[in-house]
Amino acid sequence: MSSAESVSIKKRKKFKLSDFLYSLVIGIILTIFVIVTIYPLLNTLAVSFNDAMDALRGGIYLWPRKWTLQNYITVLRKESMVTGLYISVLRTVVGTVLQLSVTALIAFVISRKNFVFAKPIALLYTLTMYVNGGLIPSFLLNKALGFTNSFWVYIIPGLVSAFNMLVIRTYMNGLPDSLEESAMIDGAGYFTVFVKIYVPLCKPVFATIALFIAVGQWNSWFDTMLYNRMASNLTTLQYELMKLLSSVSQLSGDPNKSASAVTSAQVTTTSVRAAATILTCLPIVALYPFLQRYFVTGLTIGGVKE
Amino acid sequence: MKKQIFAVLSSAAIISSLLAGCGGNSSQSGASSSASSSASASSEGSKQIKEFTAFFDRQGSELNQDNEIQQIIAEKIGAKCKETWLTGQTAEEAVGMYIASGEYPDFMNWTPQLQEAGALVAIDEYLDKYPNIKNFWSESQWNSLRQADGHIYSIPQFGKINIKAMDTQQNGEAFWIQTRVLKWANYPKVESLDQLFDLLEKYYAANPTMPDGSSVIPFEILAYDWYYFCLENPPQFLDGYPNNGRCIVDPKTYLVSDYNITPTAKRYFKKLNEEYKKGIIDPEFMTMNHDQFLEKIASGRVLCMVEQHWDFATAEDSIKSQKLEGCTYVPLGITIEPGMKEMYYVSGESATLSGGLSITKSCKDVEGALKFVNDLLDPEIVTLRSWGVEGKDYLVDENGLFYRTDEMRENAVNADYKASHLCSYSYFPNYGGMNPDGKNAATPDTQPSEFFNGLRPEVQECLTAYGAKTYVEMLDNNVIDGKDQPWYPMWSFVGTMTSETPGGLAWTKMEETKKQYLPQVVVANDFEKEWSTYLEAYKKCKPEDFFAEVQEAVYNRIKLVWGKDVRPKS
Amino acid sequence: MEAKKTKKQSINIASGAITWKAIKKQKELVLLSIPFVAYVLLFCYVPLLGWIMAFQNYKPGLGFLHSKFIGLDKFKFLFVDNPDFLRVIRNTLAMGVINLVLSFAFAIAFALILNEVVHKAPKKFVQTVSYLPHFLSMIIVCGILQDVLSIDHGIVNEILVKLHVLKEPINFLTYKSLFWWIVGFTNVWKETGWNSIIYIAAITAINPDLYDSAAIDGAGRFRKMWHITLPGIKPTIFILLLINIGNVLNAGFEIQYLLTNGMVQSVSQTIDIYVLKFGISQCDYSLGTAAGIFKSVVSIILIFLANSAAKAAGEERLF
Repeated sequence: MSSAESVSIKKRKKFKLSDFLYSLVIGIILTIFVIVTIYPLLNTLAVSFNDAMDALRGGIYLWPRKWTLQNYITVLRKESMVTGLYISVLRTVVGTVLQLSVTALIAFVISRKNFVFAKPIALLYTLTMYVNGGLIPSFLLNKALGFTNSFWVYIIPGLVSAFNMLVIRTYMNGLPDSLEESAMIDGAGYFTVFVKIYVPLCKPVFATIALFIAVGQWNSWFDTMLYNRMASNLTTLQYELMKLLSSVSQLSGDPNKSASAVTSAQVTTTSVRAAATILTCLPIVALYPFLQRYFVTGLTIGGVKE
Repeated sequence: MKKQIFAVLSSAAIISSLLAGCGGNSSQSGASSSASSSASASSEGSKQIKEFTAFFDRQGSELNQDNEIQQIIAEKIGAKCKETWLTGQTAEEAVGMYIASGEYPDFMNWTPQLQEAGALVAIDEYLDKYPNIKNFWSESQWNSLRQADGHIYSIPQFGKINIKAMDTQQNGEAFWIQTRVLKWANYPKVESLDQLFDLLEKYYAANPTMPDGSSVIPFEILAYDWYYFCLENPPQFLDGYPNNGRCIVDPKTYLVSDYNITPTAKRYFKKLNEEYKKGIIDPEFMTMNHDQFLEKIASGRVLCMVEQHWDFATAEDSIKSQKLEGCTYVPLGITIEPGMKEMYYVSGESATLSGGLSITKSCKDVEGALKFVNDLLDPEIVTLRSWGVEGKDYLVDENGLFYRTDEMRENAVNADYKASHLCSYSYFPNYGGMNPDGKNAATPDTQPSEFFNGLRPEVQECLTAYGAKTYVEMLDNNVIDGKDQPWYPMWSFVGTMTSETPGGLAWTKMEETKKQYLPQVVVANDFEKEWSTYLEAYKKCKPEDFFAEVQEAVYNRIKLVWGKDVRPKS
Repeated sequence: MEAKKTKKQSINIASGAITWKAIKKQKELVLLSIPFVAYVLLFCYVPLLGWIMAFQNYKPGLGFLHSKFIGLDKFKFLFVDNPDFLRVIRNTLAMGVINLVLSFAFAIAFALILNEVVHKAPKKFVQTVSYLPHFLSMIIVCGILQDVLSIDHGIVNEILVKLHVLKEPINFLTYKSLFWWIVGFTNVWKETGWNSIIYIAAITAINPDLYDSAAIDGAGRFRKMWHITLPGIKPTIFILLLINIGNVLNAGFEIQYLLTNGMVQSVSQTIDIYVLKFGISQCDYSLGTAAGIFKSVVSIILIFLANSAAKAAGEERLF
C-alpha cells in the first residue's frame, strides 16, 4: 500500500528522479494488485458473517448486511470437527517433516553432478508427473499394502513429489560445488555433507517446499474419503467440511431422483460455505508469515562465507 | 545451528512416538470398524445393539453420533445404521471404487453396476419372514423388480402411497408465478403460453421495478448444468403429457415419441425467442449458475419461471423471511393452447419399480439387516422417523391429529437440530400418503391443517380466488395407476442407460447438443435459421437409437405387468 | 558454468558413463538412492499396470484379469468416431498454452516487482495478500467472477460503461472469443501470488555481492533487476517451464466446468470434461484410461523435446 512512499524514504545518497518514478510505478502496480487479490477474500469474509437466508439474495460485497455468527456455529458444532482438526494438524506436521526430509535427501543425491545414476533417477521421477494409472489401480495398490483405515495413507503414498524434488535440486545446483568438494577433502561422507552443509544453506527453498507440502496436506480430503471413510477417528477436518458442503451437488444429478429425496436434502448455503472456507484458510495462512523470514536475500551465501 | 538440528530431531522423535501410539490405535480401530461394518455388537447398557453401515450415492447430511432419535430407535429395535453419503465424487465413481475393492457397507443404493458385479444379496427368499417389507409393495410390484436371474435384489424406498395421496405442495414441475402478478390482474384464468406471457408483459410494463429500485425480471430460465431441464422439457407438459422425463409415451398406442422436435417445441422456443427480444427473459439466463439463480429468486425480482419446486424452495423460504409481499409462487398448469388437459401434477404408485435399498455381499448378518429394515416400518418407528418425538417435535390434539407449534416447525428445518435430534433414515423405505395410523399424513408438510396454517395471507387469498386449498389444487389432479400405464415414469429406465449401448451414447450426445444449442436458439436474431441448425446437429446424435431402446423398454414393462406382448406384429 | 564443469571433471572421474568402477566409487550415493528407486517404482509405476484397462471393456466387478479385451476400440471411439474430440483437444491445448504463458509472465513479474520493495513490512503484507486467493475453492472464485462479470450490475460492466468503452453492459461469458482469456486471467488472479513463491525463494540465493558491484558500475535499479535478478532465477524459470510444458494438456477441469454454458460450450470443453461426460459418468473407466494414456504420451514427447532444446541451449534441464 504505502510501499511507494516507504521505498522512496530509503536512504539514498542523492535523490534521483528516475529512482523515485521507478518506486512510484512499482507502488501503483502493487496497490492495484493487492486490491484485486484481496477482494475475493474480503468478500468471502463478509458473506461468512452474513445471515444465510439474507445472503441468498446476493449483493454482498465487502461488508455483511445482516451480521451473524450462526454460519460459524453451524460449521463448528459438528462434533467430528474436533477429531478432524487433530488429525489434520497431525498429518500436516508429520507429513511435512517426513516428506521434506525425504525429498531433500533424494534431491541432494541426484544433484551430485558426477553421480552416474543421477540422470536415470531424475528421469524416473520426472515421468511420474505425467503418467498415472488412474484412481482404481492406485486404490487397489494402497489397499493391498494395508493402507486402508490407517493414518499412514496420508503420508507414505505421497512421500516424494517429483515437482518438489526438482525445485530443490535446481536450488542445490545453484550452490557452489566447492562446498561439497572441500568437505569431502576433509573426509566427510555424503550424508554429513548433506546435513552439515546443504541443509542450512537450503533454508529458503526448504521453507518454500515445506509450505507446499503443508498446504497440500492440510487441504487434502480425497484420500480420507477413499481410504478412511469408515474410520471415524482418522477423518480430517477438510473431509468433514467436504461432507458438510457437498450436501448440495455440483457434479451430477437427476431432477426426478432429487425430487424424491427432497426431505433429506440439507441446504448448505453460500454463507456456510464461506465460513468453512475462512475457518480452514486461517491456520495455514498464518503459517506463511512465519516461513517468510527465511526468504531473505543474502542469507545463503552470507552463511557460506562465515 | 546444532541446536536447531537437535530441536528438529527431537521434535521428530516426539512426533513419531506420538504416531506410534496413534498408529496402534488406528489399526485397532480399523479392525473393529471393519468388524462392526457387519453388525458387531456394541454393548449399550445391558442391551446388544447391532450396528450396520450404509452408503448412499446421493448427497445427504450425516447425523451426529449421539443423535437422539437414532438412539431411541436403536433401543427399541436393537439396531442402528451409520449412513454415509456421496462426497466430492460422482455417484458412478464412488460406486465403482467400492466394486473395485470388493468391500461394501451393509446397505447400498441399487445400481446396475452393483448388480452386474454380483455385489448384492438376493432377498426374495427371505421376504416372507418380514411382513412389513413384504407388504410394503404388492406382489406384482415385487415381480417387476426381478432381475434376469429371477431374484429380487432391492427394496424401492420411495413412491409408496399409503391409503391415499396427501400432497399439498406441487413438488415437481410447473410454471410458477408470483401471487402479486395474479392479484394485480385480479386473478385471471391463465391457461396458455400466450396468455401467460401476455400477462407478464402487461405487469412488467406497469411495474418495472421493485420497491427498492432494482429491476424486475419477468421470466427466468435456469439453464445451468443438469438443471437445464427447466429449459428443455416444458414442451412435453405444454402438450398435456406427464413427466415421463425423456420422452412422450402415447397411452393408447404405447408408442414413444420425441418432445424435442414437435411443433409445440418449436412454438415454445419461438415464443421464448420473441420474449427474449422484448426483454421479458433475463438476459443472463444462459450464463448464470445455480447460486446466482437462487439469488435472483430470493430477491423477489423474478415474476415467473418453469421449475421443479424442490429446487427453489430455499429461495422461497428466504423471500418469506424477508417478508416480501406477494413474491412467493403458485403453480400454473400452462399448455400450448387454452382449455387443454394438463398433467403437471400426477399421483399414483408405479406398477413397475426399479432400484432401491440393497443389501451387499459384505453384510455378515443379512437376516439382521432385513429385520432392521422391517422394524423401521413399524408404525411407532415410522412416526418417530417422519414426525419425531411426541411432545417435543409435535403435539396431538383430541382427535388424534398431529400438529406443531411455530418453534417445532422452525426446529424441523434447522440443520443443527436435524443432525443432533432428528433421524429420518431417509434412504430406507418410506411411507408417502398417510401415516400407518390412517389419521395423519405421512410427513408434517403434507398434513392438511399443518399446511394451511403455514400459508401467508396473500397466498391464501390467491388460492381461494382460484377455488383451491392447496398448491396441488391449482393444477389438474391426475392419478396414473401403475396398472394402466405400467411404463410410467420412463425416466427411471433412462437413468440406468450407459454409453455402452447405442441408445445410451445417443442420449449423452443429445443432452450435450441440447445444452449447447437451446440457449442459442432462444437468443438468436434469426430464429428459423438457428432452429434448423439445432435440428441438424440434433439429428446427428442419432436420437432414433435412443428412442428405439426406450420403446423396447416400454414394451417390456407392459409385458411384465399385463403379461402380454403389445409389440406391433411386423 | 563452463568453468565449474571443467573443475569438477578434474577432481572426479568422468561423469556420465555408468561403469562398475564408478559405481564402486559412489557406493554411498548408490546405496542412498536404492530405497528411492524402489519407492518410486512401487508407488508410481506399479499402478501403471492399470493402463491395461484402456484395451479392455473394464468392469470393476471383473477386475483386470477377467475383463474382456477389446483392443483399440476406446482409442477409436475418441479419435475416429468422434470428430468432436479433436475440437476438445484444440480447446485443451489452447487453454493450456494461454495458462502457461500468463501464469509464468505474471508470477515472474510479480516476484521481480516485489523484490524491488525495500521495506519489509509492506513487502510481507503484499506477499501475504497475494497468495490468499490460492486458498479459496474454485467454486467460490468462479462465483465471485460471475458476479463481477454479470450483465446485471456487475462491476466490470459498470466501469466499462462509465468509461465509455462499452455502450451498454454485455454478457462476457457468452463470447466464444473471450472464454479462454477469462479462464486464463482467472487462473492468474487466483494463483499469481502462490506461483511466485518459488521465484521469491530463488531470488534469495543470488549473491548480494553482484548487486554491490553493479551499483559501483552505476547500474540503476531497473538494470540490476534485469541483469542480475532475472538471470539469477533463470534456472528455476527453466525447470518450471520444462515441467509445465508437459502439463499443457492438463488445462483443468473445474474452472471450465463451472464457467461454461451453452453459448460457449464448443470452446470450453476440455479433455477432462469430455472424459467425465462420456466415460466416468457412464461407468466407462476404460475410456478415461485411454484418454489418460493419450495425454501421457503427448506430455512425454513434449518434455523430451523441451529437455533436448534446453540441453542444446545449455540451460538447466530436467534430466
